[in-house]
Amino acid sequence: MTRFIGFLALAVLSLALASGAAAEGTLRIGMTAADIPYTGGQTDNGFEGFRFVGYQIYEPLINWDLSRSDKLPSLVPGLAESWDVSKSDPKKWIFKLRKNVKFHDGSAFNADAVLFTFDSIKNKQAPQFDQYGSAQISWRLSALKAVRKVDDYTVEFETPTVSSFVPYQIVYMVIVSPAQWNKVKDWRQFAEQPSGTGPFKLARFVPRERLELDANKAYWDPKRTPKVDKIVLLPMPEPTTRLAALRSGQVDWIEVPPPDSIAQLKGAGFQIVTNKYPHNWGHILRLDKEPWNNKAVRKAANYAIDRVGICKNLLNDTCVPGTGVVYKGHPWFGNPRETYEYNPAKAKELLKQAGFDGVSKRPAKAVALISTSGSGQMLPLAMNELVQKNLKDVGIDVDLQPIEWNSLTQRFRIGFTGENAGVNALNISFNFLEPFSAFGRFFHSKSVPPMSVNIMPFVNPESDKLLDEAERTFDPGKQDAILAKLHELVVDEAPWIFVVHDLNPRAMSTKVKGFVPPQSWFVDLTQVSVTK
Amino acid sequence: MSTIALPNEAEGVVGAPMSYWRTVAWRLSQDRATLVAGSLLLLVVLLTVLAPWISPYDPNSGSVRLRLAPVGSPSHVLGTDEQGRDMLSRLLWGGRMTLLAGLTPVVIAFVLGTMLGVIAGYAGGITNTLVMRTMDIFYAFPAVLLAIAISGALGPGLPNTLISLSIVFIPRVVRVAESATVQVKGLEYLAAARASGAGLWQILRHHLLANVLGPVLVFATTQVSLSIILAAGLSFLGLGVTPPAAEWGLMLNTLRQSIYVNAVVPALPGLAIFVTSMAFNLVSDGLRDAMEIRA
Amino acid sequence: MWQYVGRRLVLAIPTLLGASIIVFAMVHLAPGDPIAAVLPVDASKEQVEAIKKAYGFDRPLPVQYFKWLGRVVTGDLGKSIATRRAVILDVRDSLANSLVLAISSSLLAFGAGIALGLLAAFWRGRWLDKLASAVAVVGVSVPHYWAGIILIIIFSVQLNWLPAMGAASDGGIASYLRHMTLPTIALALIPLGVIARVVRSAALDILAQEFVLALRAKGLARRRVLTHVVKNAAPQIITVLGLQFGFQLGGSVLVEAVFSWPGTGYLLNLAIFQRDIPVLQGVILVLATFFVLLNLLVDVLQTLIDPRIARH
Repeated sequence: MTRFIGFLALAVLSLALASGAAAEGTLRIGMTAADIPYTGGQTDNGFEGFRFVGYQIYEPLINWDLSRSDKLPSLVPGLAESWDVSKSDPKKWIFKLRKNVKFHDGSAFNADAVLFTFDSIKNKQAPQFDQYGSAQISWRLSALKAVRKVDDYTVEFETPTVSSFVPYQIVYMVIVSPAQWNKVKDWRQFAEQPSGTGPFKLARFVPRERLELDANKAYWDPKRTPKVDKIVLLPMPEPTTRLAALRSGQVDWIEVPPPDSIAQLKGAGFQIVTNKYPHNWGHILRLDKEPWNNKAVRKAANYAIDRVGICKNLLNDTCVPGTGVVYKGHPWFGNPRETYEYNPAKAKELLKQAGFDGVSKRPAKAVALISTSGSGQMLPLAMNELVQKNLKDVGIDVDLQPIEWNSLTQRFRIGFTGENAGVNALNISFNFLEPFSAFGRFFHSKSVPPMSVNIMPFVNPESDKLLDEAERTFDPGKQDAILAKLHELVVDEAPWIFVVHDLNPRAMSTKVKGFVPPQSWFVDLTQVSVTK
Repeated sequence: MSTIALPNEAEGVVGAPMSYWRTVAWRLSQDRATLVAGSLLLLVVLLTVLAPWISPYDPNSGSVRLRLAPVGSPSHVLGTDEQGRDMLSRLLWGGRMTLLAGLTPVVIAFVLGTMLGVIAGYAGGITNTLVMRTMDIFYAFPAVLLAIAISGALGPGLPNTLISLSIVFIPRVVRVAESATVQVKGLEYLAAARASGAGLWQILRHHLLANVLGPVLVFATTQVSLSIILAAGLSFLGLGVTPPAAEWGLMLNTLRQSIYVNAVVPALPGLAIFVTSMAFNLVSDGLRDAMEIRA
Repeated sequence: MWQYVGRRLVLAIPTLLGASIIVFAMVHLAPGDPIAAVLPVDASKEQVEAIKKAYGFDRPLPVQYFKWLGRVVTGDLGKSIATRRAVILDVRDSLANSLVLAISSSLLAFGAGIALGLLAAFWRGRWLDKLASAVAVVGVSVPHYWAGIILIIIFSVQLNWLPAMGAASDGGIASYLRHMTLPTIALALIPLGVIARVVRSAALDILAQEFVLALRAKGLARRRVLTHVVKNAAPQIITVLGLQFGFQLGGSVLVEAVFSWPGTGYLLNLAIFQRDIPVLQGVILVLATFFVLLNLLVDVLQTLIDPRIARH
């Protein structure tokens, strides 16, 4: 009997002492994604996929410079040393590729790899066509019609129309190793043993559970050879789970801690890291039906929202008020006439002008589709209930219909028809990384479905003119000025209810050093190290 | 008033045997634990039914500045939730949803299941095989799994929850009803009653139903607690009642994110489910003891 | 007796077939597009249709059903839409984790439940009975997902003794066991209650039989009486044990959701929200098959112990 007790005590003791201690130089990250992003090249799970998989294992021809916090990332040479539009034909772009770069499998990077990758996305007849990867990314590459090999280290892209947006799109296409793919001839198998040129390579992959990346010590850029030895990525879609994992030492870094916990995380000695980035949270409005077909009503809605209250009280300062598509300080912000500060009196006045005084005439009524969760959606239920309350206080009655995130993205795709016939607004968050994502897909008349997602529809000849001009302007400074003018127009037209910009909060232990939060959806993990 | 043969006579009564239901009632009145549980249950039901009149605040309105106030706060005796809504009001209103979602499927299953079970049991032969084997197919799934699978297919919302939970409970009630019917069918006095010329309807009403309803009723009451837990569980997973409605399971889910900030308030909805469920179990225990059902 | 087993086995086939139809119908009745869930908002309609075609979702439902059934019989459960891995692999991995949880939780529930039930029966009416019965009724009434949350609050948040989530399949056995502790306890509560109550009730029935009373009056050793009780109560107890094991395997969804334990319940939850139809169908069918076989096993065991039990 005593032996039994002794054994039991020993067992309990050993359980208590043993813990999942991390090897030195290993960074363990809790992601918000529900599953490991696709590792076969053109990744899924949106930008979180790029952030932790796409841009770590692979690289595009042009990279984002993610080393600074104080300004927007600029485009810098990646697998291409230089690029320019052809002098003789503005519909052709010449890219000079980097030499002496090897894929993780040892094969050399050259023009063939670029053509191979392009075909895997755009050419349905190619044996290497990746149906899944293509569906994830090809819509972003609308300006890339074809590519031609000039020599082993030069390629030429052809665009359907003259477009200065090409570099912004090239940045989305990451290059895969043809040699490795040809060994397995199947994308699912390639995804289990992928080969790119990125600073990290895949070490271990347990589907739905974890992804382990080893540092690529043979990376071509000595300035970006990883300091950390290993990265472990764990999907943790539940905020409380992430919080528990960080506090118990199971991970060193979590994305998006629950805003409520930030105060006590700081108190417990964790680092909270935030920065502005091209994220927009608001309502896309239906412009062809009451009440949002009236500009005064749209402006009224924008003046009715207490954005500071949302950011301070609900989100613990992990967002900033948004009064336009982009945030103040962004080169495309310009100088809009409407400042949309919290002014319920002004809102009521505008509504009265529009004929909705809520007393004799009918109150303005609308239906908004929102999600219960989702990537980039922040705290949709809580935030939308506040928005609803703000609008009600000035006389706009919004009925919220919460549906599940995947359903929302699907219903967004079909626009305000069919199932959405009775809906007046959709709450979906967006990015504005480059001109098409920020403006082109929403505010150009040619972007109505099925071409793209201008579902409102926003049809404005001046806006079309500015967008076309921007696409023809190759000087970045001049292009920014045109887009700023466009932004001023959009803010004035108020086709959306602008609410907030997220600040991308992250929490990490003090052992994590060297991380610089860029103004981006993506991160550079090569300068990070984890002390003991 | 028909009499039905009992295994024992009612204790403490001398002379002619009491009627069945009166015996049951007498036994219940002697069972203190059941009485206490029953009163508690009545209290819970009463409070939730009266919610519109006694709840101090509107369950759907709250001020974000007062989020997650702890229990015992000045104007919110049970604290506030993550949106600043008063917990006491949410618990009262939420109880109506939870009880509705929990009781309705059992009632539906009781009615439909008894009918199906009695028909299958009395008819025998092919009808019986058909009905029982179909029930077996549903019985192959454990309750939770079936509920979640059906709800997952139908989507969230109260009506879908009621449908899916009813589908879960009907086969179980059918089994009990059929088994009881088959047992009674074989009793000798039944054959004697038929031989004496009693009509089919009379037989059904006096002998079959009374002896079948008892076990089925007891069984149904044991399922209520499970139904409540399942209904709340579905909302917990996002498959039941949708926000911003108040419902105990849903509240448990949305408050779960806040356990690090304030550990007591998030536990309250679960406590409510637990207390109600336990009360139901104790009452059903008492009922079973009083009716001397072995099933 | 073998006739009985054979008959039950044969009957299991139409049951499984029926279950497969239900699984298929349920999953395909779901509103919403299965492919849309994994593609970005801006993917073109053409691409969505192409992927749908690749999975065969464009065919009429009965055709899809028979094709699926045909593959299932050969062991091919199709490919997950989200991971493009064979579903059978996902199911196998998650089933292993769920089985571990169910078995350990069952050991706890059976051991404690039987012990409590017997204690309550033998000391009927005394405080031990009241205590054991109280524990049992609490176990039966507690919503296990709530219990899980409470356990997390106490042992993880406040005391930081045990981890709150996941299975840490990388950290070795000790870490795995630590992660398993809280979910095991949470999952064991309801079965513990049910088993204790059934055992108590069955034991009391037997103890009430006249000849047992006579034996005890004559001074028969308690241990002999106990043996007698257990042997006679065994059929009922085994039925309940079987049912509860089934509950723990299939009903672990809620506990797995609370603890992010990577079992079949967690997989099911994920698949529901990702609308990953092949995974949904595969997991539910595998679990249903498991239960049909489990029920069969329980029935056979019962007949072995007490041949009188063979049903009509």
